[in-house]
This record gives sequence, structure tokens and C-alpha cells, in this order.
Amino acid sequence: MNFSFAQKIKLGLKASLVLAVGSLPFNLAAQTSVNEDQITFVRLTAQQYRNSIRDIFGESIEVNGNAASIGVREAGLMAVGGRRLSLSASEVESYEVLALDIASQVLSPKRRNTLIACRPQDENAIDNACAGEFISTVGLHLFRRPLSEAEIENYSAMARAATDSLGGFYVGLQAALVGMMVSPEFLFRIERSTPNPETPGTRRLDAWSRASRLSYFLWDTTPNPSLLAAAQSGDLMFEDGLNQQVEHMVASPRIEDGLRAFFSDMLAFDRFDTLDIDTTLYPKFTKNVEDEAREQTLRTISDHLLNQEADYRDLFDSRKTFLTPALAALYGVPIPIRQEMGGRVPWVPYEYPENHIRVGLLGQATFLSLFSHPGASSPTLRGKAVREHLLCQTIPPPPGDVDFSLVRDTDNLEFRTVRDRLSEHRDNPTCAGCHMLMDPIGLALEVFDASGVYRTVENGAPIDTSGEWLGQEYDDVRELARMLKEDPTLTSCLVQRAYSYGTAREPTRAEVQWLNTTHSQLRSEGMRWQELMQRISRNPDFYTVPEAAPKEN
Amino acid sequence: MARRIRRRIAIWPGITVALSFSLLTISLSSLAAETRGYVISMVHTATYYDEQTCPDGTNGSRPDVLIRRVMNDGYDREEAIRIVSSLRINGGRDDEGNLVGSAIVLGGGASFDGDQSWNGFDFNPANVPGVLPDPMAHNAQGRYAIGLNLNDEVGPNSWEHPHTGETGIDNQMWRVLGCWDVYYVNKPVNPYNEGIAWDTSVDAMPAWLISVTGEDLNSDGDVTVTFDRAINIPLRDSYGSIMSGATFAVDSNPRSHSEFKGRIENKILTIEPGDFYMQGESQFYPHLQFTETQLRFEMKQDGSMEGHIGGYQPWRDYYHYLSVRGETDGMIDLIGVFYDLKRFADAKPDPVTGENTAISAAYFIEAVPAFHVDHNGTLLADSVGIGPELSGPAVSQYSTVEQ
Repeated sequence: MNFSFAQKIKLGLKASLVLAVGSLPFNLAAQTSVNEDQITFVRLTAQQYRNSIRDIFGESIEVNGNAASIGVREAGLMAVGGRRLSLSASEVESYEVLALDIASQVLSPKRRNTLIACRPQDENAIDNACAGEFISTVGLHLFRRPLSEAEIENYSAMARAATDSLGGFYVGLQAALVGMMVSPEFLFRIERSTPNPETPGTRRLDAWSRASRLSYFLWDTTPNPSLLAAAQSGDLMFEDGLNQQVEHMVASPRIEDGLRAFFSDMLAFDRFDTLDIDTTLYPKFTKNVEDEAREQTLRTISDHLLNQEADYRDLFDSRKTFLTPALAALYGVPIPIRQEMGGRVPWVPYEYPENHIRVGLLGQATFLSLFSHPGASSPTLRGKAVREHLLCQTIPPPPGDVDFSLVRDTDNLEFRTVRDRLSEHRDNPTCAGCHMLMDPIGLALEVFDASGVYRTVENGAPIDTSGEWLGQEYDDVRELARMLKEDPTLTSCLVQRAYSYGTAREPTRAEVQWLNTTHSQLRSEGMRWQELMQRISRNPDFYTVPEAAPKEN
Repeated sequence: MARRIRRRIAIWPGITVALSFSLLTISLSSLAAETRGYVISMVHTATYYDEQTCPDGTNGSRPDVLIRRVMNDGYDREEAIRIVSSLRINGGRDDEGNLVGSAIVLGGGASFDGDQSWNGFDFNPANVPGVLPDPMAHNAQGRYAIGLNLNDEVGPNSWEHPHTGETGIDNQMWRVLGCWDVYYVNKPVNPYNEGIAWDTSVDAMPAWLISVTGEDLNSDGDVTVTFDRAINIPLRDSYGSIMSGATFAVDSNPRSHSEFKGRIENKILTIEPGDFYMQGESQFYPHLQFTETQLRFEMKQDGSMEGHIGGYQPWRDYYHYLSVRGETDGMIDLIGVFYDLKRFADAKPDPVTGENTAISAAYFIEAVPAFHVDHNGTLLADSVGIGPELSGPAVSQYSTVEQ
């Protein structure tokens, strides 16, 4: 029987993969003590997986698929929930398929000579020296630490077995590479810590784990050679060495990758995966517009915080953004057109006119659609999102016996606007407590329908956007945005979320004190993103692990 | 030159200084007119039929054309049907196994060589239709057709408009096309061949634009109407319709710029006759051109426009549209249409031969609100209104019009 190349690989790998995964010290969703060492796991996001593959093997390697399942949000962030994630059998299988495809690209005849430094003496037989060199070199980048002698031997044995049974050196290397890529050492950020001699009662990450935490925090990818070298030399364990790396990384254009990943998490972009705005009701909200809306938000944030080095607070009433032709049509504004036809989507920088109703992140289709129902806007969802995602507040879930029939009756001619329909909840003592927190914010945004299109009436009745924020009255979303940006909770939430995002856990009490101090300083200095990143990354506590971590189990 | 709104779209880092000429224009135009922009969302031959249109029946469609051609070669109807039915199986052979050359579809890149030649012609007869005999197809008759009174006369060949009652409608193109099944439709059905050509072209074809400028477009009054080609293509909404409220940059090349004096009366837009030319780049319309052009558009409450435009069109233009599409998609007899276009042409006699070179024609047009800008990003026309009901309730923040 003849087997294709891929079939041969799969056949050769089946047994060895199970052995490889099973043989590693691996206890997911758990904190493992090995003598004094402590190990914690944080699963790579789909984007981190892609970025890591790109940076290790080059941009020409295509990652055709996504093996990671949807994560869980904890303490406001998917990153924190990532510490809770394990791997199901089906996910291991998906990662295996992905790894097979990537390994076949990496070791394809057209790439192998570029990506592998050594050559086998005979392409049909094992070359132990060359295989060992490949495994230790690639393994350093995949595992973000040097492989032990036992690990190198383990994967070399896998390569030998596959070479012997399938008759090709590179087939053997593919087997070893796939084995490494389905290892939890690659799929998870495995953070190793030891007791901190300087501050008894705390633990600190080792140099390799520091490099990983820093790299995924700032660049959303695997540590680069410079960072690995700093870990190897031990420089990362000292203030000067750490600061040097932080300074370089924050100044790099790649900081944008980290920024995009953080705000995608903080602003709940995972909701795009299940977004289902009814395009029969909102025909301008096409799939392209949905994708462009997401990009608009990230471009706006990135440009504002990195290129303009502007204050985070100004994102909420800024009139500057970027638009595509389709987004401009959705928003009902003209944009300059300089591209004749075809090609990539033409993004243009755009500034809304003075006093335009659409300002800031809350006026963008991303926020407006993500926190709407498929067929109607939702002041409650939008208000809840502002409270939870931007102000780090918690709104309890509704009681189980709430009657939603009037709120959902969007064609009700007696209660024409959603403000009228929600009055029942605001007047009901059981509901009022939470709805008074959420609805006024969302009602100010009611001039934007579920797709983000501007409107002035609902069912023929004029939309009233007035409300009150912390005792101050506002007439519309522009005034609300100005009040929101003055609220210290907005900026303290950013600082706290950024710290939690980097550590993938909630801050300890001591860390909260540091965060409060840092927040006060940054608020008076101007809430610059790169400064925030610098301060967090240079903080020694950022690389510590709470001794008692009751939520880890 | 139409008076237009000229406002700089805010492009940051801020284009704040305009040329002094532009500033002058802003101050002048802001005193007076408003300009509304539109993008054409559908064009096709204006169709209309009733029981009087084809009293002898229609000409059928492509299979009927082929069967008639084979019968003209001496076969009876039953064998002709068998021959045409076996085209894809054996290339169209008779009961004795002979290849029947006339059982072949013309135009649209059909190949003619070797055994595929038609009765000895080793070229596509669609390119020289006069070499074949006139099949004498049925022509549209009756009292009614869509169109415009182009010559301000009521003649023996003119029609009456079925909806407005206007007499003297000049649309001899309809006589040519009206009894082909593919055109024998009433709105909202489009003639299939033109509809599908438009639908497959519109995503790659620079848009066709209309602007209307006047003192107050919500009231009766004189206006200026322009047609222009854009440099960018239309967008689609989730229904596949042309999205309203999009921005189009007007092609600075004047070849596709047509301008007319016009008037709005009771929400009906009309123009004084003039020349019209629009470059097309579509599968059907490489260009569209008329002389003595008129139009009648209804300006609808939702901001869109709908109506028809017409004039005298070079009849060879239309034959070219059809022959490029071919009988496969056109579903007409190219040879028959060629002879009928020539026969019913009613304008622009050739000074040498005396044969008319143009034919009166009318086309349906639908247009939705759109912004127009120039190549510098200066706003030329405002998108006003929400467009058709299903295109989403966008309200322009730029509108100078009470809504």
C-alpha cells in the first residue's frame, strides 16, 4: 500500500505523540510543586500561537486554522481566564493537525535549507548530530527555554523512530517538530517560580519565565533572541538588564501587537466570534463592515496611544478615527476617495466635524454592535459594558423571573422608545438598583442603532438621550463622554486591567497599592500607554507569584 | 457649471487651508444652492407589456431561435427539435448523422472553425449579420410603452406612456425588443440578460453618478442635473443592493460628464434635451450615449430616485451590447435584432446613405443617495435621505437640507 507524505507522517506520529505528551510533567489547571519550584500554566491565545509560529519560523509559514477553543473571561479578562484553561482530547487532536501542517511547511524542500543550519549525511537515514542540533535550536524558541538533555534525547528518539519507519531524515524531523508543537511546553506559558530570597513569603519567576511574561505582555509573542539571551545570561533577573529590555521593547513598533491584543481582550472582542447582528434589519452591517469595525477600533486606539502618544482618556471624546468606504457609508459621512478600484481596503484618517454626535470609542460600530441584541439596540447591555469593561465594576446578573416581554416588544406603539419600555424595570424595586447603573449610559447611545447607524427617532418618536452621571446632567452622548473621561475610575480600571492582563491574575493587596500610586502619577502626567507599559514591566512585583494562590486549583 | 456645495472633508492631520478659489466658492455657494448626490443602482432597458404588445405571440427564447433556423434549412419541426436537443450531445446532427451547421448559437465568443462552421461560413456571422437573411421576428405593437416624447410630436409610430398617459412617446427600441421573451417583462422583473450583466459588472465597474443642484430641492424649481462616472466602485449591502450613503470620487476626465438644465415639479425631475455620454466598463454597456436626451425621475421620500432616461441612441451600440453577450445569454436572435434595429431606427440619417443611424430608446434608472467628492476630497454633493427602505436609516450629518 502506498501512503502519501502526510499520511506517512500521521501514521508514524500516532503512537509517539501520545507517548510524548503523556511523558511530560504535565498537570493542567493545577499548581505543581516540584521541590521548591512552582509551576503555573497559562494557555496561549490563538493570536499568540500564530504570532509565535510567525516569529520562530517566518512569515511565509501559514497557520491554516485555529485549534484553541473559546476561552473564559475572569476578572474582566480572557487573559486571566487563560490560567484556567486545559486541553481537551479534541483540542489536542486539532493542535496535532495544525502542527502537522506547519511542520510540513517548515521542513519542505524549499524551506529546509534556510531554516535548518545543518545537513544530514544521508537524507534517507538518521543523522543524530543534525537532529539534535535542530531539536535543541527550535526547542529553545518553542519552549521559550533550553531543552534538557533528556528532552533532547526524547525528541531525538522520536525523530529516529520516524526516520527508521518512514525512511527519511526530514520526515523524522517533522515527527519531532510536531511532538514539540503539541507539547504543553509550547501550547502553554509555563511559568516557573522559586521562593524569593529578597522578600520572604513571595515567589519570583525564573529568568526564562520572566522573558515569556514580558514578551507576551508587550509584544503578544514568543521571546525574541535578545530576550532569550538576557534570560540565558541572567540579566533579566537584575534591574538594569530588565530595564534595558523593557526600554527596547516598548520603543519597538511591535508594541502595537501587544496593545492590540490587550484592548481586544479588555473590550471583549471575543464577542465578535458570536456576533449576529440581523442583516435583514441592518443591511449596511455586512460581514466586511463587521471586520472593518473591529479594525477601526484597534487602529484608532493604536494611533492615538502609540503614534500620537495621546492621553487614554481622550479616546472617549476624540473626533479622530480611521474609516473605510463601507464604514463611512454606515456612519453617513463622506470620506476622501483616492483609490480607483480594487486592491486592499483603503483606510483613511478621518476627523468628524466639530460638534458631530459620533465621538470616541463609544460611537464606533464595534462597541455599539457588540453590546446590542441581534435585532435591537440595548441600553442595558451597553451600559453594563461601560461599567464592567471600562470602569471595572461588577453588575450582578438579573434575577431569574424578570419579565422581558415589554422590553423586547420593539414595535409597541404605546411604548415607542426603549426608554419608555425600560421604565418598567427602572420602576420595579427589584430591577431598579442595577438598571439605574446601566440604562442611563446606554440610553445616551440610543441615537445609534444595533449596527451603529445614526438615528433620531424610534417608531416615529424622538429619542431622548439625556441622563445623569455622578450627579451631573447631560443631554447627549458627547456630554456623557466628556464626563466619563473625567472619572478616575476609567483610568484606574485601565491600569488594573493592564497589570492583570500581564500577570494573568488579579493583583494582590500589595500590588493594588502600587497600582493606585501608579495610577495617581500617570493621571497627573497624562495617562500615556508606553509609560504605563514601562512602569508595569519594570515593577519587580510584576514577576512575582503570590505564595498562596487559592484560585489556582 | 452647476453650483455645488464645496466643503472640505475633515482629513486629519488637518487640511485646514483651502485654495483661495475654493474659499470663494464656499462663500458663494453656501448662500444659495444645495446639491444632492446619487449613485445609480440599476439600469436596464425600459420594459412594458400588456395583451396588445405581442398579439401574434412572442419570439420565444434561444431554443426557439435555433429551431427556426434549422427549419429554414429544410427540416421539419420535429426533426429540428431533435437536432437542437442533441446539440450538447453530438454537436447538432440530423437523423442521418449530418452535422447541421445552422443549429449553433451566435455571438458571445462562439467558436467557428472546422465542422462548427455554419453553412460554409468559417467566421461568426454575428460579426457580419447582414450576410444572413432577415428572420422577420415579431415586433412590439399596441398603444403603450415606457419612454419619453423626444421630438415633441405625436406621430403614427409613437406610443402612449402606460402610467403617466403622456402621448408621443418615442421608443422604437421597444418595437425591436418587446416580443423577445427575455424583454417581455414588467417591473419589478428585469430583462434577464441586462439584469445579470449589471449584477456581475457592478462590483468591478466605476459607479455612475447623478447630482441635482437647486435652491431648494424639496420644492418646485429650476435645477441643474449632472451625470458623471466615479473612479471607485459601488458597495453592496447585505441584500446585494447598492449601499446608500457611500462616497464616490468623481472622475476628473470630462468625457463622462453630462450636464442639463432641469426642473422639479411635484417631486418629478425633468431636463431640457441635451447630449448624454457615459463610459461603462460593464459586460453590457461599454458606454451609453444619447442625443436629445430627456429624463423623468421621481424624487422619492426616502431620498432615492427612480424613473427613466431616454434619447436617440446609435442603434449599432445596442447591437454591440447584444452580440458581445451573445445569444447564449442574450436569448434573442442576433440576426433578427440586427435587421429590426436597422429597420426601426428613426433618427440621425447618414448623410451618404440616408439610413438612420440612431433609434429612440428608454432605460429604467434607479439611484440611491451618495456623497460625491472630487479627487482632493472636497465635498461636491451631499447624501440626503435614507435611501430605499431596506438600505438602512443613515442620516447625513452634512445635510444642508431640512429632513
